[in-house]
Amino acid sequence: MTATRAAARRLGAGLVVLWVAATAAYLALLAAPGDTVDTIVGDGADTPQIRAQIITEWGLDRPAIVQYLDYLLRLVNGDLGRSYLLQRPVAEVIGEQIAPTLTLAVAAAGLGVLLALLIAVATAGDRRPWLRRASSGVELLLVSTPPFLIGIVLLSVLSFRYGLFPVSGDQGIGALVLPAVTLALPIAGLLAQVLRDGIDRALDEPFVLTARSRGVRERTVLLRHALRHALLPAVTLAGWLFGILLGGAVIVEQVFGRPGLGQVTLTAVTSKDMPVVLAVVTLSAAVYVVVNTAADLTYLLVDPRLRRS
Amino acid sequence: MPSNRSRTLAAAALAPLLAVIAGCSTGTTPAVEAAGQPRSGGTLTWAVETEPITLNPHQYAQAKARLLVWNTFESLLTYDKQGKLVPWLATGWQAAPDGLSYTLTLRDGVTFTDGTPFDSAAVKANIDKLREPGYAPGVAAVQLRNLKAVEAVDPRTVRLTLTAPDVLILDFLASPQGAQVSPKSLREAKNLKAGGVDVVGTGPFVLDRYVPGQELHYRRNAGYDWAPPTATHTGLAYLDGITYRFLKESAVRVGALTSGQVQLVEGVPATDQPLVTGNRALRLTRELNSGSAYSYYFNTSHAPFDDLRVRQAFREAVDVDTVLKSVYRDTATRAWSVISPSSPLYDKSVEGGYSGDAAKANTLLDQAGWATRDADGFRVKDGKRLTVRLVQSAPFVRDRRDVLAQAVQAAVKQSAGIDLKVSLVDQGTALEAFERNEYEVFDNSRADTDAGAALNLLLHSKGGINRTRVNDPRIDQLLESGQATADPTKRAGVYADLQQQVIAEQALVLPLYAPADQIAASTSVGGVRFEPTAGVPASAYDLWISK
Repeated sequence: MTATRAAARRLGAGLVVLWVAATAAYLALLAAPGDTVDTIVGDGADTPQIRAQIITEWGLDRPAIVQYLDYLLRLVNGDLGRSYLLQRPVAEVIGEQIAPTLTLAVAAAGLGVLLALLIAVATAGDRRPWLRRASSGVELLLVSTPPFLIGIVLLSVLSFRYGLFPVSGDQGIGALVLPAVTLALPIAGLLAQVLRDGIDRALDEPFVLTARSRGVRERTVLLRHALRHALLPAVTLAGWLFGILLGGAVIVEQVFGRPGLGQVTLTAVTSKDMPVVLAVVTLSAAVYVVVNTAADLTYLLVDPRLRRS
Repeated sequence: MPSNRSRTLAAAALAPLLAVIAGCSTGTTPAVEAAGQPRSGGTLTWAVETEPITLNPHQYAQAKARLLVWNTFESLLTYDKQGKLVPWLATGWQAAPDGLSYTLTLRDGVTFTDGTPFDSAAVKANIDKLREPGYAPGVAAVQLRNLKAVEAVDPRTVRLTLTAPDVLILDFLASPQGAQVSPKSLREAKNLKAGGVDVVGTGPFVLDRYVPGQELHYRRNAGYDWAPPTATHTGLAYLDGITYRFLKESAVRVGALTSGQVQLVEGVPATDQPLVTGNRALRLTRELNSGSAYSYYFNTSHAPFDDLRVRQAFREAVDVDTVLKSVYRDTATRAWSVISPSSPLYDKSVEGGYSGDAAKANTLLDQAGWATRDADGFRVKDGKRLTVRLVQSAPFVRDRRDVLAQAVQAAVKQSAGIDLKVSLVDQGTALEAFERNEYEVFDNSRADTDAGAALNLLLHSKGGINRTRVNDPRIDQLLESGQATADPTKRAGVYADLQQQVIAEQALVLPLYAPADQIAASTSVGGVRFEPTAGVPASAYDLWISK
């Protein structure tokens, strides 16, 4: 019973975050300098007809509170509005670009997690201090280097000099490698540090001593016992991971000439296509909430102690 | 309408800018093609900087989309190298003596790539569509402002009737917005305003694939046989197909070119040019854009620029050559007029009219009453500092125009004690400053083929972006007569008078540089050229690739 209540509370919190994000984006639209119609028109064609259309579609002639509630109602119904710059529904614009970004994000996240696991397991403990120091240095470098630079360096060497991968295009998996690696490296850098710290802490726990004293092999101790304990703090980073992926995708898609949401977002921001910006902000918040709520609910399943707290 | 849209145009036109190493070819067709004789066949990949907002030519608003538009669409007229209008889908045109109607005869045997024949009904369908409320409001309100009626006299003859003489209607007929779209597309296209594979024209190529965010692919139009006289060949396009890939980062475009992943790129900034010029397998070409030069417009509606002497002093306080050199190395072309030096309407006699003479600037300011200086070295009058504000809208700042502004700022401070305050803001804030008249300097350039169209917006008292706020009957009259005069010599005379007024007499602007476009290409590619008059990269029709 308490478990259901805890789950409900977390779902509720997720909805509140979503509502706050949508409201903040909406307030930003209203607070932008100039008339709201001006802001929505952005760089699009600006005529009395289009202005009239915007006023009707956004109901700008009604009281502010009605407009706001109507905006929320439309969001709930999945109506993301219309881009006057592109002359198309926002849902359509985003819909056709979401697949490439998802592909990139999943590939990068998978690669990042895999790399982090390998690095952490190889360098945890105090077996090879030199390797550990070298690895820490590289991780720090990866975390602190902008993805833009990583992308350009990878392209210059692997694509432009040695021609191993195409810069962009629909050449299938080959064109996905460099963008995914570019995004995966900073993720791997940070996750590896967190994982290694976790493993190190776990290795100091009494149960490890017990395991060792039972004669369990060191590798098994590491993989079966210590790593499992280190995974929880890493899962906590899921939300952060998502932020890196979305922010990174904007830059990586730009550098590599890949289609995707990042491109849509960048174009929308630079050309002041407010309906698209609003939709992207709300959508990002929604994904963030879903990822974090899912992580929280996973804890509840994994760790019985949390259900009571 | 115009302010937003025209700024978009201007900025889009300039996006690539600048540059180019001294000594590279500026001619449109090199005497000897490294690629040898033209040959048919093969495909090319071209990396472009900008993805078009729309592929429908009627909705065209980005100079960087022109090279794509003309692959699939064609207009009734076009410009030759001398800036003269010549036939394209129309074989000729006749203006009525009163200038109130134009009769065009259409080429025979032209078909849209969906099989629809091209005839007077098609032309009428296009123009009617353009005037439909909400479809292309900018075109209807500006370019077709004086159009009264369009009439299909017979299948090969169209007549346009005007409410007032307007030679700019011919510029419209040569513009992407005046390009002919299949009437079937106009009726049935899934998303007409965004364009796409189902919005077709009569051009030498057919758009057969569009992957948003990634690339456009065109295949040869197998039935094409109506090239304009400005093309270097006739009949089918040489290439079987061409792919345009969107690569927004210049370093990536150039890298893709040097590694042979693409054969052509446009938009090569100064910093990347040594990579191209230092590579024997590549060639760099550039051309100045037409339209209006990048200039600072002085707001004459209030102090201090309501005083002619202060405007003159500001111009004298800037050594434009030195400033351009420090910002763009030796790659920018100095402008002396609001009109680009590549335009047929350019008046060469305005050159050298002011000289970056600091002593003169100081004398002028002394005379204007700004005789004392404050502790920071800025000039003061009645306890007020000589401050002028330049408001730049961030999305439109290209070609390092923010850096250019800093260089001008330093120059006017050092040589004359003028305080130029530069603020880089979002577009809403910029528009608000313009509406509230809280600025003294406005920066702009436009890429119209006919500079008259740009000047109507910028300098007419009722112009959509008249940010000098000049309200001078002489200037209005010159602009109106420029729009109504058909004779090219008389017309050039009118605009020469106008430039004298604006630059020499009234010092309304400080022209800075003439925007340019660049193409870097593999030497295996032949037929690289720029569109005459517009000065932007031409369509792929004349391109070929050697074996």
